[in-house]
Amino acid sequence: MAELRFDDRVAIVTGAGGGLGRQHALTLAARGCKVVVNDLGGSAHGDGKSSSAADKVVDEIRAMGGEAVANYDSVENGESIVQTALDSFGTVDIVVNNAGILRDVSFAKMSKQDWDLVLKVHLEGSMSVTHAAWPIMREKGYGRIIMTTSAAGLYGNFGQANYCAAKLGLAGLANCLAEEGRSKNIHVNTIAPIAASRLTETIMPPNLLENLKPEAVSPLVAWLCHEKCEETKGIFEVGAGFISKLRWERSQGNSFPLGKAFSVDDVARRWGKITDFTDAEHPSNVNESFSPILDNINNPSLGGNEFIDLDVASKESLELESSYDENDLSLYALSVGAARDPLDKDELKFVYELGGNFQALPTYGVMPQIGAMLKAAKEGALALPGMNFGFDRLLHGEQYTEIKRPLPPHAKLKHTFKFKKALDKDPNAVVTFAITSTDENGNEVAYNEMTSFVKDAGGWGGERGDSGEINVPPAREPDAVIEEKTDANQTLLYRLCGDWNPLHADPAFARAFGYDKPILHGLCTFGYAGRHVIKAFSNNDGRYFKSIKVRFAKTVFPGETLETRMWKESDNRIIFETWVKERNEVVLKNAAIELFSEIPAEAPVPEQVSAEEVSAPQVEQAVTPDDVFAAVATYIKQKPELVDQTGTSFQFEFSNPDQQFFIDLKNAPGAAGPGTIDKPDVTLALDSEHLATVFGGDLAAVQKLFFGGELKISGNVMASNKLTVLQDMDPKLAEQARDKRVADGGGSQAVAVPVESQEPTMADVFSAIGHFIADNPDLIEKAATSFQFAFSNPDQDFYIDLKNAPGTAGAGQLDKADVTLELDSKHAPTLFGGDLAAVQKLFFGGDLKIGGNVMASNKLTVLQDMDPKLVEQARDKRLASGQPDTATAQPKKQKAPQAEKVLPELAEKLSAIGGQGGVLQIKVRSPDSAWFIDLSASSPGIVSGEKDAAAVITLDDSKLADLIAGKVALSTLYQKGDMRVDGDLALVRKLEQIL
Amino acid sequence: MKRRVNVIGVGMTKFAKPGASDDYHVMAKAAGLAAMKDAGIQYSDVEQAFCGYVYGDSTCGQRAVYELGLTGIPVVNVNNNCSTGSSALFLARQAIEGGLAECVIALGFEKMERGALGAKFNDRENPMSQHAQVMMDTQGFNQAPPAAQMFGGAGREYRWKYGTKRETFGKIAEKARQHAANNPYALFNQVLSLEEIMASDEVFDPLTRFQCCPPTCGAGAAILCSDEFAKKHGIANPVYIAAQAMTTDFASSFDEKSMIKMVGYDMTRSAADSVYEQAGIGPQDINVVELHDCFTANELLTYEGLGLCREGGAEKFIWDGDNTYGGKFVTNPSGGLLSKGHPLGATGLAQCAELVWQLRGQAEKRQVEGARVALQHNLGLGGACVVTLYRND
Repeated sequence: MAELRFDDRVAIVTGAGGGLGRQHALTLAARGCKVVVNDLGGSAHGDGKSSSAADKVVDEIRAMGGEAVANYDSVENGESIVQTALDSFGTVDIVVNNAGILRDVSFAKMSKQDWDLVLKVHLEGSMSVTHAAWPIMREKGYGRIIMTTSAAGLYGNFGQANYCAAKLGLAGLANCLAEEGRSKNIHVNTIAPIAASRLTETIMPPNLLENLKPEAVSPLVAWLCHEKCEETKGIFEVGAGFISKLRWERSQGNSFPLGKAFSVDDVARRWGKITDFTDAEHPSNVNESFSPILDNINNPSLGGNEFIDLDVASKESLELESSYDENDLSLYALSVGAARDPLDKDELKFVYELGGNFQALPTYGVMPQIGAMLKAAKEGALALPGMNFGFDRLLHGEQYTEIKRPLPPHAKLKHTFKFKKALDKDPNAVVTFAITSTDENGNEVAYNEMTSFVKDAGGWGGERGDSGEINVPPAREPDAVIEEKTDANQTLLYRLCGDWNPLHADPAFARAFGYDKPILHGLCTFGYAGRHVIKAFSNNDGRYFKSIKVRFAKTVFPGETLETRMWKESDNRIIFETWVKERNEVVLKNAAIELFSEIPAEAPVPEQVSAEEVSAPQVEQAVTPDDVFAAVATYIKQKPELVDQTGTSFQFEFSNPDQQFFIDLKNAPGAAGPGTIDKPDVTLALDSEHLATVFGGDLAAVQKLFFGGELKISGNVMASNKLTVLQDMDPKLAEQARDKRVADGGGSQAVAVPVESQEPTMADVFSAIGHFIADNPDLIEKAATSFQFAFSNPDQDFYIDLKNAPGTAGAGQLDKADVTLELDSKHAPTLFGGDLAAVQKLFFGGDLKIGGNVMASNKLTVLQDMDPKLVEQARDKRLASGQPDTATAQPKKQKAPQAEKVLPELAEKLSAIGGQGGVLQIKVRSPDSAWFIDLSASSPGIVSGEKDAAAVITLDDSKLADLIAGKVALSTLYQKGDMRVDGDLALVRKLEQIL
Repeated sequence: MKRRVNVIGVGMTKFAKPGASDDYHVMAKAAGLAAMKDAGIQYSDVEQAFCGYVYGDSTCGQRAVYELGLTGIPVVNVNNNCSTGSSALFLARQAIEGGLAECVIALGFEKMERGALGAKFNDRENPMSQHAQVMMDTQGFNQAPPAAQMFGGAGREYRWKYGTKRETFGKIAEKARQHAANNPYALFNQVLSLEEIMASDEVFDPLTRFQCCPPTCGAGAAILCSDEFAKKHGIANPVYIAAQAMTTDFASSFDEKSMIKMVGYDMTRSAADSVYEQAGIGPQDINVVELHDCFTANELLTYEGLGLCREGGAEKFIWDGDNTYGGKFVTNPSGGLLSKGHPLGATGLAQCAELVWQLRGQAEKRQVEGARVALQHNLGLGGACVVTLYRND
């Protein structure tokens, strides 16, 4: 880097007769700058005047070959100083405002003169010189200005009120001039130097002053004055070789919601946040300073608390879908008391869709959205935006339901839930959601506002809202009254419309909530009231109904009599209240129903629906795993080279429903289908619902499954990537497989067929086989094979032992079978029907899985000569004896816990390591048990239970058995994570000695 | 004749979590400019650039360097997994040392995605398949981020060998957080207690969440030059590289069926031995260390690999506080990968920056008093390990 030069530049340095100013002047001059050396020659206190100080510096500069002139004016006469520069050098490029004086005195004792004098020299002086140079710099489009502030001004210092004020004033002046000079390439920077000078020699000890040489400040000044330096508006601390930049720091601060008053208490409460510099910002100009204020103006926080986040609530929405049909409408109408008289045609129209005048009870408009919400809640999937509380806090407070036109007899709807408002009824909250339901053509069908009371979720300091009473009935007697008794089991009927809340059905649950018995759904009462108004004011024609608004005031019990009192406010508006007659309590109030003057037209339907589309099947059969693997098999046939490319076999273990499939791309010619494969390279375990993802060709999606733990891969994990060879498979292949299956009449899934008692049961079959074997002892020699059958749907185990004389058959498991056959119970007749081709079809179709010695399964054909009548005889015998079908009812054997059995074995060996260390706890899982060993005892035994332990190991029952049987090493179990060790691992390692 | 290589300028960005950073070329520009400013040189002085990054298409290095200037100089893109940054530094050092250039820049940057590291190219042999096979054979494959399984598995093996307490690993994370609290460039400035660290979610026993480095975005840069260049530019007493070595896997990584060996213990050990031999000094002469603490387990192993303590002695070393201020060495004063963050390409250069600041006495609150000799260790699975010894006489 070339030396930074100032040739042809002209600088004014004020107070340059000594100290810092002198050094600035010398430094600039040494680099070729022409310098006006200004110094009044006075004392540090501003007294006196002499030309000798400035002259001496000029002489020094000239002696080293530089150019300089002296000026003896006070800095208050900036014009004269600048004139000297113009006269001597013709211009001015640099102004270093350095001159200053001190009149230190405590504020209490400070005189007006002390104040005026210091401000005059520092602040006014710097202004004066700069002001005189400013037009010249603006004119030429170049300037470098230095202001000299001080740590005293930046941070405050005792006894320097005048000086501190003047010094920070300079920083402010520089900030402004930097902005004003920016476009004219005038840079203004401020330094806070500390150096030995006339100003500091009296206040600092000599040893400190020695190290605070002006030479350590001037290089910064010179750099800031150089044409290459882009810095402006900077403030720098400099001294003794240390240089650093200062900036403003602003805490993230606190934004009180705009438009809402906040008090001194609020400020005190948020003081921590206001003064917390975590993630602080560094505003560098007025705009940045103003930006959070603008933000607060533009985006006032809506507030909220841990239960209700109004900012989230107001921004996001939730979409749910549902559908209904005539059956739902009729059930609803029945459950809110319609058609009590089944002969009343006017009522029948709400519940009988074949009557020709079927119409929806209009209050049903509330049901689809609330049903969708309740369904989601039941599935644990309801997430109303910004609402972070459980359903148990929620109490339905008010409901507004509006329908745009008579509800169609069936519809598929999309419901958009949007937060409308929240009132802070500290300690509770009242939240309103607006729900728009649209049909498949995008036509709005219904609009609902659901207002709920949320217990203990208030208190965020939000709007309380007025509790103004609306829809207050006039003072006169009602214009119409209808009363109707509900049924004792009304809630049990109504709940079938989708409100599953146990509060309305489960007596114990209701009692837990403080009710004597299950209460009627508020919306059931709502439906009754709606019917009453329609009946009284629109001739029981629901098509005139527009909207209903109610407040739920009190609980109704099923069996009570509802009395709706109605006041006609106008032709289109009925105010009403619903009372429980028996208790004379109002249960729905502040309520009104609006009516249309004319029945609204039907919703527009999009045109151009082709005949083809209309005749298309409504429900498309889903592609099943069978279809997918059939497609894979087809694809492999099409591309035999896949086997060479891949060289890997895959086993798939699906859950929900449990099913196994394989893809063999290792053994030519390759295969795929249901069932298992021997020694697969990779095994993938996943939920059936993820099938499409695995074969979708989107590797990232598959990886997501994997890392999310939803896809478990064992064996050669890396080889699982080879599945990507299938990504080019045409998805249509799976659809073709589906179509073929559907055409063949295949169900989408195996269906469990209940075994009727008159039919021969599996037990009958095996009983018959047992008899057949007993009658034909030569079968043992012919077959010499034992068979295990694992049936599914229902799960049941049977065996045929044709290996060990005299041969047996029946329910249960053999110790070691040569062949294992897994199949659905429904295929049992085929298996024993004697038609080998049919059995083979089962096998190749994957409906029969054969494990163990596959070839040996052929030996089953020895049974083909068995007379089917034997089975019927067995059945008859069973029925005659009145025995229940015990075989099928027999559950699959549970694995017995092994810890109890195997641990004593360990105990025997423990004496070898007795007397070494503390208590070792063994926590056994699935099934759970707990044991401990006190290794400090000389002859430790194994005791059941838990105790304070120095070390705890946790492992599965089966792993424990493997460990003690010597099938796996202790260290391997640990390394694989099959055994967890907490506490002192060295203690656990002692077990290694004996295992 | 090998020439002395000086590090005259370093710079880095504040590390940020994925999604919260600038784009890679913007981060690289900031780090590059900072390093040049620190060195007091112009971009026109730079003769070659070595750019490290892992995630990104080819020639991101050029795109980044073009932010600094378009002077047509050679730009080499470097990709070496987690040791990418120091691999760029290694090439840069070679260029100066061998007399091929007078002044070069090593620039590392990374823009990472959220979540654990995963493979990007799955239609071909996985470069870590041999490493993965060792893991399959010793502990199988589990539901956890693969890197955590590998280093966590090494931690298990170590625990089994020496009976190490689980908290000993947590202790390293606690120290990392304490150090990072003083580092304005670090991703995490918040101190965590040992209890909080141990109580965080278990990622892979013995590693809990706070014992795993986070995916991070950031950039770092270093300017390297010859003595002649430094002299010409009036740079006196610069920090210099006293020794440097790069190793890759030895047969032991795969043959010994040891997780500790698989994650590169012998790479570390061999590179460190080489560096000590070149420099003619030993671990006892070192004041400050930046080492590859992608997981606490690896920091523990690395203490032994670098010879900071004897084999099997790491637990005592940790509980005696010999890895922090007041102890034998200060390891990862910057907060390390655990707390400063681990943008793969930038990490090696951020380590370099920290150590240069330490040796110049510019590390502010993190300053290790009187630091004169500094050691850098940067390791990537796959694998490569670079160990660098810096001095400031």
